[in-house]
Amino acid sequence: MLKFDFIGKKNIWFAVSAAIIVLSLVGMLVIGFNYSIDFKGGSSSEVRFKKAVSVEDVRSVLKEQGLGDSKIQPIENIIGTDVGALSSTTKGTMMLLRTTELSSDQETELFKALDTKFGIADRKTMTVDASWGALITERAIYAFVAALVLLLIFITVRYEFKMSVAAILALFHDVIITAGVYALVGREVNPNMIAALITILGYSLYDTIVVFHRIKENSTNIVRTTYGAMANKSINQVLMRSINTSLTTLLPIIAILIFGGETLKDFAFALMVGTIAGTYSSIFFASPLFVVWKEAEPYYRNLKNKYGKEAIARASTS
Amino acid sequence: MTDKQKHLLSLGLVLIMIGLSIVMIFPIEKSAKLGLDLRGGLQVTYEAKDSPEVKVTEERMQQAEFVLNQRVNALGVAEPEIQREGARNIVVQLPGVKDPERAKEILGKAAVLEFAIVQDAYAAINDMAELNKQKSEGKPVLGPVELTGDKIKSAQATFGGQIGAQPIVNMTFDDEGAVKFGQITANNVNKRLAIVLDDQIITAPNIKGAIPDGKAIIEGIDSIDEAKEIAIVLNSGSIPVTLDILEYRRVGATLGAEALRSGVIAGIAGFLLVALYLLLYYQGLGLITWLGISAYAISVWGVVAAMGQFYGWTLTLPGIAGLIISIGIAADSKIIIFERVKEEMREGKTFRTAVDSGFWHGFRTSLDADLVTMLVMFVLFFVGVSQIRGFALALIVGLTLDIVIMLLFTRSSLGLLAQIWPIKSPKLLVRVGKVR
Repeated sequence: MLKFDFIGKKNIWFAVSAAIIVLSLVGMLVIGFNYSIDFKGGSSSEVRFKKAVSVEDVRSVLKEQGLGDSKIQPIENIIGTDVGALSSTTKGTMMLLRTTELSSDQETELFKALDTKFGIADRKTMTVDASWGALITERAIYAFVAALVLLLIFITVRYEFKMSVAAILALFHDVIITAGVYALVGREVNPNMIAALITILGYSLYDTIVVFHRIKENSTNIVRTTYGAMANKSINQVLMRSINTSLTTLLPIIAILIFGGETLKDFAFALMVGTIAGTYSSIFFASPLFVVWKEAEPYYRNLKNKYGKEAIARASTS
Repeated sequence: MTDKQKHLLSLGLVLIMIGLSIVMIFPIEKSAKLGLDLRGGLQVTYEAKDSPEVKVTEERMQQAEFVLNQRVNALGVAEPEIQREGARNIVVQLPGVKDPERAKEILGKAAVLEFAIVQDAYAAINDMAELNKQKSEGKPVLGPVELTGDKIKSAQATFGGQIGAQPIVNMTFDDEGAVKFGQITANNVNKRLAIVLDDQIITAPNIKGAIPDGKAIIEGIDSIDEAKEIAIVLNSGSIPVTLDILEYRRVGATLGAEALRSGVIAGIAGFLLVALYLLLYYQGLGLITWLGISAYAISVWGVVAAMGQFYGWTLTLPGIAGLIISIGIAADSKIIIFERVKEEMREGKTFRTAVDSGFWHGFRTSLDADLVTMLVMFVLFFVGVSQIRGFALALIVGLTLDIVIMLLFTRSSLGLLAQIWPIKSPKLLVRVGKVR
């Protein structure tokens, strides 16, 4: 059986978490987020041209329309001509244009001009008002708070209050890291990403629940050992399944990152970071945190004083 | 009933579930109702704004929704969807609309509808284009505005007239409008009443006589299409609040189909990766897992198809994202259960006893883990905006089926296996991890 000292070395893990969180916060505060048009207002179009075009070609047309400041970016996707058959990519023929908010007339004009010059096979256009972002943010905050309150109640009822708080703190840990990674790599923050971020609240709890379930089960039978040692044993008992479940969770997400289109990737990237952070936090953050708090209870403090050295000795020899 | 019978019964239920799902899935092309991001179309989200005169109320929003509905119906789109979202938003979805520009124009008209009398000097001009031209040159074509469009209760294009085959428009005024309309018609018999939308004269029917009851018929229309347009215009005038476009998306059909294809490919790839991993890791038991997640995938697809057919649920890209990542959740629950069974065998239990106690222990863990995600998804479903709700719903469906499959399939197939193959040495099943 694998033996690894998760609880005893808690200060190392807390330091690791703290370092990553500080890095994430620095990313968020210093670099900031790359917000999509949903938050600033504007138009965004994915345009598939009939032949390959360059960014400069497209920009010249946009300039004529008075939209010279727009962001133009080639998109490369793997596309299948038929289900299952990967035949080509969209290299050079697909562009993402981000402009200021286009009026109906402007939109018609712009795409007419592009069509005459290069030939447009198809397009997808989205225009949002700046107030859309306020709506999304408001809803996201509601969802976030409601989810946290419900989770707090659920875990308190099914497990115990201290576990519940530790799990929620681990969620903050995961969400901050995910948001930090977005800031650091400059990936676009859009409504889909925010939905994924809220999903992480449930998703990254998976491993925490698995560990806590075992700790709860073992806690009824603490003989000649400390709460921490029991918790450490519990983590070791479920370690393989934590790793396995995280891997199987990640596999479909990775499939989306490779094969899915832009929208799907929004979900997948955030979920990937959140799942990895969640696996780490369930073992290295939520559990030690819970144990530290639990061992502050007089009964378990006594156990620790009585068997602490013994338990540490056992953990390091076996 | 013995355990064996129970297991066989629940496996039978799973088979029925799979059978029903397959019935729902075929033909594959029609197996899900696709959202407009997958088949192309137009989506507009409106927000009602307060103006100094008109505050947004629930009643006005319902009226606005009704009017939008009528405008959309007049467009002749196959499956339009108009939904209220929150207190102030209305989402209009027109999947597969052929001419999105025109649709957007008709939907988005900031309609100011007025009625005015055509002045005698111009009454002989029958061509609306000519009338409008004269009007735009500043000539006094029309008298003062007599009535505004907000007094119209409803307007419909239909067939009528003496032989019942002429396109006509029926319009009904509200009480105040009916009184005013009665006065106008009484005072202007044999003059022409212009219906003016946003300063454009749409039509100018002749007033045949006084109409006191607020129910008017416009005749002399060339085609039913024109009648429909007029009806749209008349209804346009009665949106009681100011609607601003908050978000607007237009998706071309080709790009939609491409997005669907990459979603399907990602789904198949995700499924195969998970299946392969489980087979490599669990070998003997992996086969059960593999059957389990296959049963899961087929029934998820079946449920999506059924929800599309019976409840009109549309599958969108976020929905596909939800379905794909739920494959991972389905595999997770099996892993939790198997690891538990393995663990109990390591403690010296036989396969049979290990399955008995291991399943329920593992099940409780997975159930809790599934429930926390489901809780969050319910929140997202109720609070989220349109697209996101599809994602949340897909995950809720996935999680529910995961629990069902755990109980009906994983439990009974493990149970049966333990009965027909009561091995003492778990080596065959537990290749990874030492056996004590």
